[in-house]
Amino acid sequence: MAGLDVGYLAVYLLSLASVAVFGYAILWHARRTSTSIGPGRLLGLGEDEARRLASGDPVFLMHLSIAVGIGLSIANAILDPVMPYVPLLKDAFLVLSVPLIVGLVAAFVWRIQVYFRSKGVEREFKSTASFTSASTFLQLILMLAVALTASELALFWFPSLVIASGLVGVVRNSLVAVYYSRPSVNLVGNFDRPLSAVRTPFNLADVMSGKTDASAISIGAGKISDFDTSQRLTFDSCVEIGACEAACPATAAGRPLSPRVLVRKVSLLAREGGGSADPFTTVGEDELWSCTSCGACMSSCPVSVKHLDVIYDLRRGLVAKGKLDKEKSAMLENLAQNQNPYGFKNATRGDWARGLGVDTLATNPKAEYLYWVGCLSSFDQRAQRIARALSKILKQAGVSFAILGAEEFCVGDPARRLGEEGRYQELAYQNIEKLNSYGVKKIIATCPHCFNALKNEYPQFGGRYEVVHHTQLISDLIKAGRIRVPAEKIQKISVTLHDACYASRYNNVFDEPREILGASVSDVREMGRRKEKTFCCGAGGSNYWYKVPQQRSIAGIRTEEAQKTGAKAIATECPFCLSMFDDTTKVMNTGMDVRDVAEIVAECL
Amino acid sequence: MSGAVWSYSENESVSNEVASAAADVAKGASAEPVVLEIGAVRAGVRAPGAKLLLKGPATSDVPPEVAAEAIAKASKQLQPAAILIGATRYGREIASRLAVKLTVGCLSEVSKLSADGNALAGERNAFAGKVVAKVSCALPAIATVKVGYYAAVESAGTAVTESDVGQVNPLVKVVSREKKAAGAVDLRSAKVIVSAGRGVKKKEDLPMLEELAREMHGALGCSRPLSSDLGWLPEEHHIGLTGVTVKPDLYLALGISGQLQHTAGMKDSKVVAAVNTDKDAPIFQASDYGIVGDLYQIVPAIRKALASRR
Amino acid sequence: MRIAVCVKHAVDETELKIDSGGKPLLSGATSRMSTFDKNAVEEGLRLKAAHQGEVVIFTVGPSDSKKTMKEALAMGADKGVLVTADTTSIDTMRTASLLAAAIKKAGPFDVVLCSEGSSDTYSGQVPPMLGEMLGAAFTGYARKLEVNGQTARVERSLEDSLEVVEAPLPVVASVVSEINEPRYPTLIQIMQAGKKPLEELNGDQLQPAGAYRQASVVSMSAQQSARKHVMIEGSPDEAAAKLVEALIREGVLSK
Ligand SMILES: Cc1cc2nc3c(=O)[nH]c(=O)nc-3n(C[C@H](O)[C@H](O)[C@H](O)COP(=O)(O)OP(=O)(O)OC[C@H]3O[C@@H](n4cnc5c(N)ncnc54)[C@H](O)[C@@H]3O)c2cc1C
Ligand SMILES: Cc1cc2nc3c(=O)[nH]c(=O)nc-3n(C[C@H](O)[C@H](O)[C@H](O)COP(=O)(O)OP(=O)(O)OC[C@H]3O[C@@H](n4cnc5c(N)ncnc54)[C@H](O)[C@@H]3O)c2cc1C
Ligand code: SF4
Repeated sequence: MAGLDVGYLAVYLLSLASVAVFGYAILWHARRTSTSIGPGRLLGLGEDEARRLASGDPVFLMHLSIAVGIGLSIANAILDPVMPYVPLLKDAFLVLSVPLIVGLVAAFVWRIQVYFRSKGVEREFKSTASFTSASTFLQLILMLAVALTASELALFWFPSLVIASGLVGVVRNSLVAVYYSRPSVNLVGNFDRPLSAVRTPFNLADVMSGKTDASAISIGAGKISDFDTSQRLTFDSCVEIGACEAACPATAAGRPLSPRVLVRKVSLLAREGGGSADPFTTVGEDELWSCTSCGACMSSCPVSVKHLDVIYDLRRGLVAKGKLDKEKSAMLENLAQNQNPYGFKNATRGDWARGLGVDTLATNPKAEYLYWVGCLSSFDQRAQRIARALSKILKQAGVSFAILGAEEFCVGDPARRLGEEGRYQELAYQNIEKLNSYGVKKIIATCPHCFNALKNEYPQFGGRYEVVHHTQLISDLIKAGRIRVPAEKIQKISVTLHDACYASRYNNVFDEPREILGASVSDVREMGRRKEKTFCCGAGGSNYWYKVPQQRSIAGIRTEEAQKTGAKAIATECPFCLSMFDDTTKVMNTGMDVRDVAEIVAECL
Repeated sequence: MSGAVWSYSENESVSNEVASAAADVAKGASAEPVVLEIGAVRAGVRAPGAKLLLKGPATSDVPPEVAAEAIAKASKQLQPAAILIGATRYGREIASRLAVKLTVGCLSEVSKLSADGNALAGERNAFAGKVVAKVSCALPAIATVKVGYYAAVESAGTAVTESDVGQVNPLVKVVSREKKAAGAVDLRSAKVIVSAGRGVKKKEDLPMLEELAREMHGALGCSRPLSSDLGWLPEEHHIGLTGVTVKPDLYLALGISGQLQHTAGMKDSKVVAAVNTDKDAPIFQASDYGIVGDLYQIVPAIRKALASRR
Repeated sequence: MRIAVCVKHAVDETELKIDSGGKPLLSGATSRMSTFDKNAVEEGLRLKAAHQGEVVIFTVGPSDSKKTMKEALAMGADKGVLVTADTTSIDTMRTASLLAAAIKKAGPFDVVLCSEGSSDTYSGQVPPMLGEMLGAAFTGYARKLEVNGQTARVERSLEDSLEVVEAPLPVVASVVSEINEPRYPTLIQIMQAGKKPLEELNGDQLQPAGAYRQASVVSMSAQQSARKHVMIEGSPDEAAAKLVEALIREGVLSK
C-alpha cells in the first residue's frame, strides 16, 4: 500500500481515531466506576476466559469470537500500513479470521434465536412497548456489530477493498465504543468475583458499637440513586445476550422474572428517570421474589453482569418498606424469636441425636470436627435421616465430631437471601461468638447453604474455619480407606445426582458426590444440566418459605429431567433439594426414590 | 355469702352451659343460681332455678353495650354475689364493661368454677395451652366462662321475676348483621380445624369433611397439595410453612402425612388428633390421639358418634 | 387524627421453660410483642396514612417492654409511652386503668386500638374495659375499620356472623388478625427506632391502685407439653367413639 492515497490515509486516520474513542470510553468508564483494568486484571481475565473456553460452552465460544474478532480487526486496521514489511503477518491474520468468522456467524444466528425467545418472554410479561422497542433496538445494534465484524474479517481476504474494510471498522468501532465499553469494563472488574460474594451494606458490629450511626444507614434500593456506581455499571452492562434468561429456572417455570428483563428495566429507568426514579414502578414484587439465587444467570453471563447485586438490593428495599406477606414475615419473626425459620423451640434442636451417642461441643469440646446440622436436618423428620446417616458414617470412620445441639442457631442464609441483612448478621455474629468460644477449627456441613455461609460469608464477620461439605469429607474417607463399601453391599439401583446450586455452582463441589456414588451404587446416570451448570430445585433464595405465581414448578421441571435419565432414584446433597424432590416425586407419581448421598453410603456400610 | 349467682349469655346454648356453672358456684356460696334474660324470655334458655328478666330493651337481641348497662343497673339494685357470662365475643365485652361499671374483679375464660370461701375461683389456660392456672377473685366478682366446658343445664325452672332497667342508648349502632359464609371462617381464629390431606381421594369427598367441620363448630383446612397442586380448596385454606399458621384447640388431621412444612403451621394446636392408614406416618409423632385407619370409614363413624351425643 | 395503640410485651409461649416442679418460669421468660398487637399497630399506621396524624404506642409493663415498643416504633409509630408496672401481678382491670390514665394524660385521641386478646393470657378484657373507662364507644373484634369524619364504621367478626356497626369518635376498638398483614420491622429499623421519643411513667404514681380486690393467680402448673401419642384401637365405630370421648374430656370439643 505504498504511495500516498488520500482516501486511504483519511480512512486510516479515521479508524485510528475510532479506536482511540473506544479506548477512551473504556478508560472513562473504568475511572468513573473505580474499576481496575491494569495488566494484572487483563491477564487474569485471559486465564479465566481460557478456562471457560475449555469448558466448551457455546455462548462463551461466541462471546470470545466477538471479542477476539473485534481485537483482530482493530489490530489489522492499525497494522495495515506495516503489513507488507512483516512477513507472514497478513497470513496469520487470514488464518485466524476463519474460525472467528464461523464464531461470529454462529453468534449472529444465536442472536436471532435470542431475539425470538426474548420477544416471547416480553409478550408473556406484557412488557411495555417502550421496553420492548429499547430491547429490540439494542439487539439490532449488536447484531449489526457482529455482522460488521464478520464482514470486516471477511474483507481481509480482499486486499483491494481495504478502504471499505476500514470504513466498516470505523462504524463498528463507534458502535462498540458506545455499547461495549461498559460491559468490557464490567467484565474486567467482575470476572473473578465469586457467586458467593454478597454485597454487605453495613456491618452490624460497627452499628452496635456506635462506629456506624444506625440512623445513617439506608438499606436496599428505594430509588435509583441508592445503587452505587458498581451496581449501575453492572445493570448498564447488559447487552441482551440472553444467556441468563435461557438458564434462569424462574423464567423456565413461567414466573414473572427474567434476569435480562430485570436488569434492563432498571437500566432504562436509570437512564430515563434519573436518580430519584422509583425502581418499583417497573419491577414487580413477585418478580423479585421469583429469584431462587441459584446463580445460573451470573455464571452464564459472558460479561459478568451481577444480577443478584441488583435483586438483593431491591429485595432489601421491599423488606425495608415492610412489603412482606405473612409467610415471609413469619419466617423472619421466627428467626428473630426462635433462631430457626420454622418457629420451633430452639432448645429441641438437638433432639434428633438422642440415643445416637452423638456428643455436643459442651460435653466434648475437644472434638476435631463440629458437625453443623442446619435447621432442616434438625427439625424435619425426613431430613433428620441425613444427620443420622452422616453420624453413622463418621462414627464408623472414627472421625471425632460433635454438634452444637441447642446452641446452634440458624446460619442466617434465609434472612440474608430474603433481604433482611440485619437479622442475618445478628445470627452470624451470635453463631461466630459461640464457635470461637469453643475454639472450633473444622466444620462439616450437610446443608450447602450453611456450608456456603460458614465458608464464604462468616470470615467477613470474624469467623474463620476450615469448612467442608459432607460429600467432600465422605469422599476423602472413602479414598483414605477409612470407610469401605464391600462389593456385595453396593446398591444395585440406577441413581441420578442432582447438584445443589450452593455446592456445585457456588463452591465447585461436584466431583466428590460422584465419587461417592461411584463407590456405592451400581448405575449412576447423568442429567444434561449438571455440575456448575446444574438446574435449581426451586428452594434457594428463601423460596422454600413462600409461593410465587408460576406456570409450573421448578422442582417439577427438574424431576422430569431426572426421570428422563431412566434412573429410579434421585441422589441429593442438600436437605432442601431433598425436601423439594420428596414432594414433587410424590405429587407427580414418579415412583422415584429421593435420598441424600450420605444416606446412600450409610446404607452400604 | 348471700346474694344470687347470675348467669347470662346472648347465645342460647352457651347460656345453658353458663347456667350449669352458676349452679356449681351457687352451691358453694349457698346462694341461688339465677339466669338472666334481657328484653324478653327465650324459650330455649333453661334455668336451674329462677330467671330474672331485665325489662327495658325492646328485644332479646341486645348488643353487648346494652346488655352490660342493663345488668349493671339491676345488680346495683339487687347485689348479686357473682355474675357469670359466657366467654363469647359479645360476652367478653359484657363482662369487662360490667367489671368497670361495678368496680369488681373479673376472671377470664374460666372453667371448674367454685365459690371458695369469700372468693370466686376457677381454672383457666394460659400461654397457648401450655399452662393451667388457678385464679380467684374476692366476691362479689365477675367471670367469663369458657365455652364448651360445661354441660347444658338439665332442669328447667319456670319462675320468672322481673326488674325494670329502663332504656339504654348505646353509642355503637348496629347497621347490619349477616351469617358468615361457610368458607369465610378465618382458620386463624377457628377453635376446631378439620384438615384434609391427600388421603382424600377426590374433590367430591370434601363435603363429607366440611360437614364434619360444621358439626364440630370448626373450619376446614388442608395440606398444601389440596390447594396448590390440586386446586380443590382456595389457597387460604392451606396450613403450614407456605400457608396459614393456626393454633386451634383441636386439630384433626385426616389423611395428612405430617411433613414439617405442614406441621410447622399447626404445631401449637392444643390437641392434635390424626387419622391415617399408615401407622408410620410422621403425623402421629405430632399427635395426641391417633387412629390408624381409613378416613372414609372413620369420618362417618366420628359423625355418628357426635350425633349420638346430641 | 391521633391514634393510640395498646401493645403488650407478652411472654413468648413457644420458648416458655418449665421448672422441674412443673411450674412455668415466668420471670426471665423471653417476651415479645403480643402477636395480634402487630395487627393493631398496622391498623394504626394504616389510619395514619389515610388521615394524617400520629400514632402513639402505650404499654403497661416492666422496663424490658421497651424492646417491644421499639419494634412498634420501627413499624412506623411516632412515639411511645411506657407505664411501668409488674404485669405478672396485676389484673386486667388494673392494666386497663393504667392504660386509660396514660391515654388521658397524652390525649385526646380519636381512635384507640387494641387487639382482641393477648397471645400469652388472652383474656380479651382490657379493650372493653378501656372503652368503658375512657367513656368512649367500644367495638371489639374489628376485621375492617373506616373513619369518615366523626364516625367510625367497623365490621366486627363474631363467632358465626359479621356485624357492621357505626360509632362516634373517639372510638376504642380491638382488632382481629384478619384485618391486615402487619409489616415486619427490620433489625436496623428497630435500632433506628431507638431515637424516637419514648416516655416512661411510673404506674403507681400515675394512677394509685383502686379500692377493689384484683383478680389474682393462685397457682400455675405446666400442661404436659409433649404430645400424648395415644393410639386408639378398635373397629372404626369403636375408635371414633373413643376419640370423640377423649376430645370431650380434653375440653376441646363442644358437645
Ligand atoms: C418448599 C415447600 C413448602 C411447603 N409448604 C407446605 C405447607 O405450607 N403446607 C403443607 O401442607 N405442605 C407444604 N409442603 C408440602 C409438604 O412437603 C408435603 O408434601 C405435604 O404436606 C403433604 O401433603 P399430604 O400430607 O396431604 O400428602 P401426602 O404426603 O401424600 O400424605 C397423604 C397421607 O394420607 C394417608 N392416606 C392415604 N389414604 C388414606 C385414607 N384413605 N385414609 C387415611 N389416610 C390415608 C397416607 O398414608 C399419607 O400419609 C411444602 C413443600 C415444600 C417443598
Ligand atoms: C395465668 C394467668 C391468668 C390470669 N388470669 C386473669 C384473670 O382471670 N382475670 C384478670 O383480670 N387478670 C388475669 N391475669 C392477669 C392479666 O393477664 C394481666 O392483667 C394482663 O396485663 C392483661 O391481660 P391480658 O393480657 O390477658 O389482656 P387482654 O384483654 O387479652 O388484652 C387485649 C389487648 O389489650 C391490650 N393490652 C393488654 N395488656 C396490655 C398491656 N400490659 N400493655 C398494653 N396493652 C395491653 C393489648 O392491645 C392486648 O392485645 C392472669 C395472668 C396470668 C399470668
Ligand atoms: S439467580 Fe437464578 S433464579 Fe435468580 S435471576 Fe439468576 S438465574 Fe434466575
